[in-house]
Formats: sequence, structure tokens, C-alpha cells
Amino acid sequence: MSSVDISEPQGAAPRGPSSEAGGLSDALNPILVREVQQAVKGRVLQLAIFIALVASVVIASSVASDAAGLAAGRGAFEAGLATLVPLLLFVIPMQAYSSMRAELKGGVVEQLLLSRLGPGRVVSGKLQAAMVQFLLYVSLLSPLLATSYLLRGVDLLTISVSLFFALIACVTVTVFAISSAAQAVVPALQPIANLGMAFGLGLTTLGVTGAVLSGGYSEAMSSMLRSREVWTVVSGATLGSVITITLSWLIARSYLLHTFEDKSSGFRIFLWTSPVLVYGWMLGFVESRDWHDAFPLLTFGLLLAAIIFGVFMATEQRDLSPRVRNHAPTGRMSLIVAVPLLPGRDRGMLCFTMFVALLFGLAATFWPSPTESTYDVADFVYRLGLTTVAYGFVYLLIGRWLRAWFPETVKGSQAARVALPLFLFFCIVVPLLIDGFSGGRVSGWHLGHVLNPFWTMERFCLGMNPARWEAAEPFVITSLAVGALAQAPIWVRGVREVARAARARRSA
Amino acid sequence: MTALLRVENLTRRYGALRAVSDLSFEVERGQITGFVGPNGAGKTTTMRIASTLDVPDEGDIFVDGVSVLVEPRLARLRIGYMADQFQPYANLDVLQYLDFFARAYGLKGEQRRSTVASVAEFCGLGDFAGRPASALSKGMGQRLHLAKTLLHDPALLILDEPASGLDPRARIEFRDLLKKLAAGGKGILISSHILPELGEMCDAVVVIEKGQRVVAGAIAEIQREAQLEQAVVARVVGDASALARFLQTQAMVRDVVEDGARVRFAYVGDDEDLVGILADCVQQGHKILEFTPASADLEDIFLKTTKGRLQ
Repeated sequence: MSSVDISEPQGAAPRGPSSEAGGLSDALNPILVREVQQAVKGRVLQLAIFIALVASVVIASSVASDAAGLAAGRGAFEAGLATLVPLLLFVIPMQAYSSMRAELKGGVVEQLLLSRLGPGRVVSGKLQAAMVQFLLYVSLLSPLLATSYLLRGVDLLTISVSLFFALIACVTVTVFAISSAAQAVVPALQPIANLGMAFGLGLTTLGVTGAVLSGGYSEAMSSMLRSREVWTVVSGATLGSVITITLSWLIARSYLLHTFEDKSSGFRIFLWTSPVLVYGWMLGFVESRDWHDAFPLLTFGLLLAAIIFGVFMATEQRDLSPRVRNHAPTGRMSLIVAVPLLPGRDRGMLCFTMFVALLFGLAATFWPSPTESTYDVADFVYRLGLTTVAYGFVYLLIGRWLRAWFPETVKGSQAARVALPLFLFFCIVVPLLIDGFSGGRVSGWHLGHVLNPFWTMERFCLGMNPARWEAAEPFVITSLAVGALAQAPIWVRGVREVARAARARRSA
Repeated sequence: MTALLRVENLTRRYGALRAVSDLSFEVERGQITGFVGPNGAGKTTTMRIASTLDVPDEGDIFVDGVSVLVEPRLARLRIGYMADQFQPYANLDVLQYLDFFARAYGLKGEQRRSTVASVAEFCGLGDFAGRPASALSKGMGQRLHLAKTLLHDPALLILDEPASGLDPRARIEFRDLLKKLAAGGKGILISSHILPELGEMCDAVVVIEKGQRVVAGAIAEIQREAQLEQAVVARVVGDASALARFLQTQAMVRDVVEDGARVRFAYVGDDEDLVGILADCVQQGHKILEFTPASADLEDIFLKTTKGRLQ
């Protein structure tokens, strides 16, 4: 307080920790510090600790009265895990959800965004606070888990892998809860959203607890640990969790950001990073003899992800917001790199097409050679993938066209994202109804159903009749090429807008 | 010296509605500027843009020379924005609440602890340090809200209806705090519907209507330029009627009312002319005990300059 005389009062300063502890405290995310302070004073944490301790004592007493070693050890493990599950999958996520809801009340989050805390740090802080609780609950029940090991009912690997799964499940569900809380922006719908979240978490908890108590979990875990795919499964689950956590984090962050900020680039960068993660996982954890099937399937998965991202990109507001425009890169190279990553539906189409081109390039280079098998996964994915991309282009262009009918606001974008699936629904249902009313029944696929991707693909790609695909392939490739080239003016407009902004910045 | 806050040709549209239209004004250091207008005039929109919480369609706002549009992060370090609503966190006491925001503003170690303590003391929260933030009265809550706004020592304070809902004592105390801050060199832009109070604390005023500036500047100057009448009270020893009769003969005096030993009148003119009238009264033998021009009346300015148009 340099300019105003607010001198330090004698003895009024709060007692601070030692300098080392103070340094550590300074390095912590402020949200983490605050959430822990709130939790310590709140009732939920005290109640959860009490329940965990009571459960530990009850289970330990029950085990002590049971002399059967192996069965008692396994029973203690299952009972301990069953106590942990509600804490990790219900209490922690629900607290994180409520905490994010409180942040959004009365414009509190805006006050945070004016400080040096960005939306990303707000979400990360809540996640860190959840992890502190995770450690606390696991510590409370760790004597029980250790007992189960000492009674030789469960081996160390099972306990370690189970705790690891518990961690990634807890983080994933918690970040999903935080993201859901950030999205629930309509106050009138808040009680329904709260109820839905509690119901969803409750069902998940009941399902997992049931699986643990019935012994199904232990059996599945034991057979998985004995199989040679154990690290493929563990790493696959971790990858899935990392992807879900990152996406949920990005979604929560984008909802906390103001409408005029860049909400889109994070998702686009994530899309471009996903091949590295996915193919990296394949190279690191999938046995090379399985690559023949894994590579096409993972490529198809990435393609589907790109289409989902594409729907969002193609239905964004068209122009850069004034804030983003004023941060357009000025260097030639940075401009080239940044253009497909910057917000706006024109650049969204460019981003999608470039990503599909990357997948095509990778597929052309590494696609496995055909096998003699009658059911070749690579061949199947080739047909399905090509048709899916063609439909992707068509429907994204339709989505872009629909978006133009709505106002250039965030609500307009959201409306277009509802309108596009509705359009798809009508494209499926209307020809069926016409067939039904005109002929009395739906006789079979005809050209009127061409905008129904599911039936068309079922007929031409999934069937065992190769002649059908041979007949359809030229049309698919032509529509794919037309769909891609038809976007050229859109790309040009998207690039020009960024170039104009860059010129304006340079001249300023 | 450049103005602390410079609003330049600001325009903000919401669809077909122009919430703010080509608005320009300035706030100087050490000055309290009232931001006045009817509901829906565009005050909050302008304040939110100035606080980097919204962006203009045209124009820009500069805080200490930093554009809120181009460099929002830098601008935020110079701004303390106090929104019209205060929502404290549950299960946090006053010091913990301030400590949290001090951390959020990047204050570290001893600096953070001493800033929190001194700001709490300055805002009169010293005795409430351990009290739950959510259990404070409305007045103390606003003090905590202001304290939070001061933690990073911003040069400019933007206060949106800070006194609404406060009792008279809390309002007076809050006003005194703002005066102290302005005396310390901070620029303050404050919106309020309690115009007499704004009139007492503000050095300048910006009146907007339908998103456009109606008038801006020092209150006394606006009054003079707008040829607004100023109320004056004279208290005499002796014959008040004689003074009233004399005043009625003066060119710039109107609406003379005799009220016991007092004579009230409306007067149009500058301070020099008023001094001349007082001298004439004394010369005429009237025994003047008190001759008080009423303080600048913001309500008059507001009513004279706005037309009550809504958008």
C-alpha cells in the first residue's frame, strides 16, 4: 500500500508459519489452501473421517473374530475397499461439485479472474484439494489394507494397482463433477443439476461398491494381474483417465472464461496432441503383433474424436473477439502455426481438415498390409473410416450452414449444436416416414436415405458383400474430395481475418 | 500528466441494443468521480469493460496508459473492482478471506501477511479478524469487500453501487474510507443512486443516459455551465424581511423565501458574483451572521441534464 497510508498495525498481523513452511505455503495454489481451510472448519470432512474410522474398527473387529487367514485377509481388503469407494467416488466429487457451484454464485469467480488466478488454476486448485482428501481417506484406511496383506489374503501388487485405479477413478470423477458444476449456468435448472449429479455419483458408487463386496472386483483384478495384458490395461485405463481429465479441465476452464476470451484454442491443441498420446501408448504398451488391429482402430477412434471436436469448431462464432484479435500473432511463422488453432468456425473447418489430412498421411504411411483372414480389421476400418470422413465433411458443412442462421453469440453457437443433431435425426426419420406413408412399409435402402450415415454405412461398409463397397467407393472418395475442396473459400476467409488482425497489430 | 482512467469513444452493443455509445471521459489521480445515470444507462457495462470483465465493440479504455483490451492482465494489476454484490465464502474468517485473495494476487510471505493485516486495520476490520466472513453485517461485509479490492494496491478503484443497502452510519464510514483513499492518490470511479451522498464526496461527475455522455467534469463547473441555480441560506441578526426585500432586487437572485431569521434564495451565477451580493448586503447595513451556499447538488445536475429516457 504505497500510495495510501495504511501502516502495519502493531500485533495485528496473523501469526505466520516459519520461513520454510511459509515458502512452501506460498508455492501452493491459493484455491487449495482455501479449500483445505474451509474443509477443516466444515462438517462433511469431520463426518467422513468419523465414518471411515468407525468402519475400520468394525471391519478390524470382525476380522479379528474370524480365524480363517486367507479368507479373512481378502475379506478385510474388500471391506476396506468398499468403505473407500463411497468416500472417493461420492464424497470427494460431490464436495468438489458443491465448491465449484459456490464459486459461481454471486459473481465470486469474476473476482478471482481479476486476480492472477486464471480459470485453469481455479480448476486445478479444486482438483488438488480433492487429492488432499484422497490421501487423507486412504491414510485412514491404510492400516486395514496393510492388515489384509499381513493376513496373506491379498498380495502387494493387487493393493497397489487397486489404489492406483482408485486414484485415477477419483480424479476422473472429481474433475468431471467440477466440469459439470461449471457448465450448469442456468440458475433455474440448478436443483435438477444437483440432483442429477448426486444421483449419478450415487449410482456409480453403489455399482462399484457392489462389485467389490460381491468379490467380482477381486476376481477380475486377480485374473487381469495374471494375464500378459496387465500393463496394456493399466496404461490404457491411465490414458483414458488422462484424456477425460484434460477434456473435463478444458471444458470447466472454458465455462469459467468470459465469452470474449479464447475458449477454443485449448481444445484444438488437445486434438493435435491426441495422436501423440494414442500412438505413443500403442508403441509403448501394446504388443507389436497386435499393431495390425490396434493402429487402424486407434486411427478410427481419433477420427471420431475429430468429428466430435469438429461439430464444436464448425458451430463457433465466426469472427475473432476483439480481445483475441488484439493478441493475434504478428510473426509470419507463428501466424501460420496459430491460424488453425485460433477460434472461429472458418478456422475450425481448416483445423478439422488439416487434422484429417494428418490422419490420412499417417494411415497412408503405416497402414497394415491386408491379411488372408475373411474378417480383416484394417480393411473394415478403411471402409468405415473413409465413409465416416465423407459424412463428417458433409455434416460439418451443414452444421456451419445452420450456425449462420443463429445470432453471433455463445447462445447462438449452443443452439446450432442442438440444431445439428436434430437435423441428422430428421435426415434419418423423414425418409423412413415417407417410405412408410407412400409404400405402407420401409422396403429397403434407396438414395433418399443417403443422409442417414448409419444405414448407409451398414449397407455399404459393414456388409459382407464386397461388390457393394466397390460400387460405393468412388462416390465416397468423390464426396470426400468435394467436401474438402468446397471449404477452400472458408479457409481463405479464416486465414485473412487473422492476417488482417496481425497487420493491424504490427501497424499499431 | 495523463489521466488515470481514459475512456475513449467506447461503444458496446448487445444485439440491436447499444448499451454504451461513443462514450468518452477521464478520471484523474486523487479524484473521486461519480458515475451517474438512470437504470440501464450503461454504467455497469462501462465499469465492467474498464475492469476487463467485458470488451467494447469499438473504442478502448486506458488505465494508467494500459489498454484494457490489449493488455488486460497488466490493466488488472492497476484496477480494484468492487462489484455490487458481495458473496463471502463459508467457513472462512475475515483474515483467511483476505489472505486467500492476497495469495490470488500473488502476494507472498511476510509481505502478504503484513498487507492483509494493514488493509484489514485500515478498513476497520481489525476487531473482526477472527469472525466468519459470512456472519458479518452488511456494512462490515462491504468493508471486507473494499479491503479485498485494496490488497494489490490498485491505482484505480471502480466501485459499482458500493453503498447500496448500507445504514446511514455505515455509509458515512464508508465514504470517509473512500475520501482517505482518494487523499492518498487513488482515483475512484463510483456509481450510486444515492446522489446527495455522491455530491458530498465526489470531485467530478460523469452523467450518462442511453449509453451516451450527457455531461462530465467538476461538479461546480457543470453547475456553472448548465446555469443551474444554487441554493443559498442567509441568517441575519435583526430584520430578515429587509434582507429579503433587498435580495429580490438583485438580478441573479430568485425564489426568495423568508424563514424566521433565515432567508433562503436561489441564485444563478459564479462564486465571484455571490461574493459581490454578500458585500452589497453588508454595505446596505444588513447584519449577516451566516451566508452559506448549499453544497453542489448532484440531484439537480442529474435532473436537469437527463431526460429519463430508458432503453
